[in-house]
Amino acid sequence: MDFVRSPEQAPPIPVKIVVAGGFGVGKTTTVGAISEISPLTTEAVMTSAGVGVDDPGQATGKTTTTVAMDFGCVTIDRSLKLYLFGTPGQSRFGFMWDDLSLGALGALVVVDSSRLDDCYPAVDYFERARLPFVVAVNAFDGKLVHELDEVRWALAIDERIPVVAFDARNRISVRDALLVLLDRALDDAVREQSV
Amino acid sequence: MNPVPPEEPVGPARIRPFLGVSGLGSPHAAEASPLSGLRPFVLTSGRVDGVDPDIGLETQVTARSDGPLRTGVPLSSLAPELRAIMALCADPVSVAEISARARLHLGVTRILVGDLRAAGYLDVHAREAARPDPDTILRVIRGLRAIS
Repeated sequence: MDFVRSPEQAPPIPVKIVVAGGFGVGKTTTVGAISEISPLTTEAVMTSAGVGVDDPGQATGKTTTTVAMDFGCVTIDRSLKLYLFGTPGQSRFGFMWDDLSLGALGALVVVDSSRLDDCYPAVDYFERARLPFVVAVNAFDGKLVHELDEVRWALAIDERIPVVAFDARNRISVRDALLVLLDRALDDAVREQSV
Repeated sequence: MNPVPPEEPVGPARIRPFLGVSGLGSPHAAEASPLSGLRPFVLTSGRVDGVDPDIGLETQVTARSDGPLRTGVPLSSLAPELRAIMALCADPVSVAEISARARLHLGVTRILVGDLRAAGYLDVHAREAARPDPDTILRVIRGLRAIS
């Protein structure tokens, strides 16, 4: 029997996960490891008031910065598609995180354990936004500079926030880190529903 | 006595600021890409605000097959960047993907997609601001587990 298709293909429901982290921690690698397309790059122009922290004598003006964002996707089934957006980890890009977090499943904060400073703004932001997140320490060459407990202590995050080690180049490892995040997201969603 | 007016250039009348008329004998026509030197928001007539809040990065967009019929304007007479967007939307596609593939800044893409939606060329499948429900999350979990 012929399957009658509707003339206009119904679009899938999109869901998304934010992959945040500092420069060079492996966000794009993470996205690329799991995405079914090679990561695409889009650019956003942002205008922000110059705060003149370094040079208070200088007139405060507006600065324009172009922020690059890499993304990829995974088709879950015919009607559900997962998007992964890699976003820079500086707090001045917060405007983009507002938009990215809206309706998101959660965030994977990718961390280089030798440069923990880079991830503070992202951790701060997702805590305040009450978006489920997981701290994923990218084990470069399979080695961690600090133990996970030390990372947790240094970041001063809640016991309930998972801290996992993963390899951004490895598909299964990235998948497992995302599954930890999704478990958190599921817990939150179930709790919200029962309230 | 009036001075003799300078000779009018022959050819189609040009509209200031002469955008989109490369190849019509403008002195700069030989320059590389006509758009390369433009600030991105020239394409949106300088609009940076007023982005439809329905239009997120992951929002799915599809071309309406009856678009040109409804508007009475064929796709071929749209601006090149609008045509480029339309060409990408034959199958459902995300706003982020349009931006990446059409090489348009994200903010510009969102505004132009909003314009094409308002004009009746595109269907925008509005996003939900709410977090996904447990059933949806479970489907994503099952989908990821199937990856090997």
